[in-house]
Amino acid sequence: MTANPQRSHKIIAIFLFGLSLFYLLGSFRLKMGNLNNPGPGLIPMAIGFLLVAFTALHLFRVFRATPAAIGKKTNPGAEKKNYRAIAGILICTAVYPFILEPLNFILSTLLVSFVMLLLLRPGKILFSFLLSLAMAGGAFLVFARLFGVGLPSGFLETFLFRIGGST
Amino acid sequence: MPEITQGLLGGFATALKPLYLYYALLGAVLGTVTGVLPGLGPLGAMAILLSFTLSMDATGAMILFAGIYYGAMYGGSTTSILLNIPGEAASVVTCIDGFKMAKKGRAGAALTVAAVGSFIAGTISILGLMVAALFLADIALRFGPAEFFAIGVCGLILLVRLSGGSLLQSFIMILVGMALGTVGVDFLTGTERFTFGNVELGQGIDFLPVAMGIFGIAEVLTTVEAKAAPPTVQKVKIWELLPTGQEWKRAVPAMFRGSFLGFLIGLVPGPSPVIATFVAYISEKRFSKKPEEFGEGAIEAVAGPEAANNAAVGGAYVPLFALGIPFTPAMAMVLGTLMLHGLTPGPNLIKEKPDLFWAVIASMYLGNFMLIVLNLPLVNVFVGILRVPSGILMPVIVIICMIGVYSVNSSPLDLLMLAVFGFGGYILRAAGFQAAPLILAMVIGPMIETSLRQALNITGGSIADMVFRPISLILYSLASLTFVAPLVMKAVRRRKKEGIHEP
Repeated sequence: MTANPQRSHKIIAIFLFGLSLFYLLGSFRLKMGNLNNPGPGLIPMAIGFLLVAFTALHLFRVFRATPAAIGKKTNPGAEKKNYRAIAGILICTAVYPFILEPLNFILSTLLVSFVMLLLLRPGKILFSFLLSLAMAGGAFLVFARLFGVGLPSGFLETFLFRIGGST
Repeated sequence: MPEITQGLLGGFATALKPLYLYYALLGAVLGTVTGVLPGLGPLGAMAILLSFTLSMDATGAMILFAGIYYGAMYGGSTTSILLNIPGEAASVVTCIDGFKMAKKGRAGAALTVAAVGSFIAGTISILGLMVAALFLADIALRFGPAEFFAIGVCGLILLVRLSGGSLLQSFIMILVGMALGTVGVDFLTGTERFTFGNVELGQGIDFLPVAMGIFGIAEVLTTVEAKAAPPTVQKVKIWELLPTGQEWKRAVPAMFRGSFLGFLIGLVPGPSPVIATFVAYISEKRFSKKPEEFGEGAIEAVAGPEAANNAAVGGAYVPLFALGIPFTPAMAMVLGTLMLHGLTPGPNLIKEKPDLFWAVIASMYLGNFMLIVLNLPLVNVFVGILRVPSGILMPVIVIICMIGVYSVNSSPLDLLMLAVFGFGGYILRAAGFQAAPLILAMVIGPMIETSLRQALNITGGSIADMVFRPISLILYSLASLTFVAPLVMKAVRRRKKEGIHEP
């Protein structure tokens, strides 16, 4: 969240309203049917209308609210936030789906967990690396070998556990 | 009655075989571990182990899954109380007061009450399942689409009332959840809705990445955002596990109320353990002499919902055994397992496979006993896992969430959903929105829609015919009462207050 809660609340309210409008417009492309024989678009349209109405009301309230009222609703104790860690974890979770299959499980998990550990425990590079290695290897052992989950495997996985590629 | 006794004795003879005892123990331990570890719920654990059960016989697989389901309900409370992270969806409510109790140094008491409540509820619900599987089948059969619609709507209305935040924000979250539930191919007409041509989206947005994202990842982000704040994991000493006499006095009646309520809710469709916890919470608040303590660490608010979610598990098995219909996603997994083993679930299953039915019932008794024996002394072992510094624990939770999500469908899209809903959950939470209504609406939404459309078809578009049916009318009246009563009482109180001040 941004340091200015009022601004971030406004952004969220606008985003929700936009999303509602987008959903409502999307529902118009579906067949409505009638009450005797409701089509696939009837419920989405009803949801869409209600969403637009409620998010518009929310938007109105947020824009009318005083900064003090909004500040009261948000976490009052969070003055100094670890934005670097938040952004890092978010980037890691967003990047993981794209690197998991190309890099295979151990390398991608090692990379992602190493970055997260470094962000949360800065300065402990060797410890973070060893822990990431243990996490990636341990997770592969438990999930792929014990539970038979099909995790993306390549040379490293085959070399370490001799279970062959599973994807 | 002699039939039940004979069946149960036969069931114990089967369930006490070393191999089945091992499966029950394995299920209980795995269930507790997956319940404790945030992000990995019973559904994820069952999905992971589904292929593994092919090497067992049907009885063994059912015993293992029953253990996982019960164990996850036991274990889910641990992270809710100690970390404010629900191990699974049915433990969301426990976070509210359980975590507050932990903050006040009563984590041990909360954990014990949750474990004992789960044991009592488990035992009561197994008794109920045993007797009711045959007799209650008729009642459940009378539920038509209009009643299913009423149940879903009432569940959501109850949720809005108890989520505690802004009504408008809760309604928005419910609608967003329902909107997410409409994504995918409409199974009544085969029409694609909001898929944008994506084949994977055609199957709908999976519940798992959404739940793990807005509870698991969002919680991790919230935990790491405060630089100065140390991890909130509580140390629990053995002597702290014992609740005080006053706490027992308040918790025990709540456990029994939650058990009966949970079992009854378990009989109806939907995520019954989740609904049961919310209904139990609101009921306890109504019954309580100190409702103002709810949300601040009331022990009944832990005992009632924890008992309710375990009892709902037993209840959820009734329609599965009696009708062959799964009313919860986890029961759908159990149903899939039965089918994988060549069994056709339905009213004839108990008659054709009495050994399996009674062995599962007996193993539930044994599993519940194992869980209470394992959980209370081992609470500190689990606490030990959670006492790992947050700088290490949080990346581990993220990794487990990601593997858990990927393991179900092997889909990178699910992982992307996890990231999106993690971020969404974090910013919505920071803006004061509650995540629980969204999750519940997402699960119940498709059922509500299907029921409404089927009911309208049956009644020829007459809404009055849908509403004015005995069961529906009772449900709507109850929901309206729950919604209107607090407003009326507030108005009456205000008027009384004004009356006092008037000369």
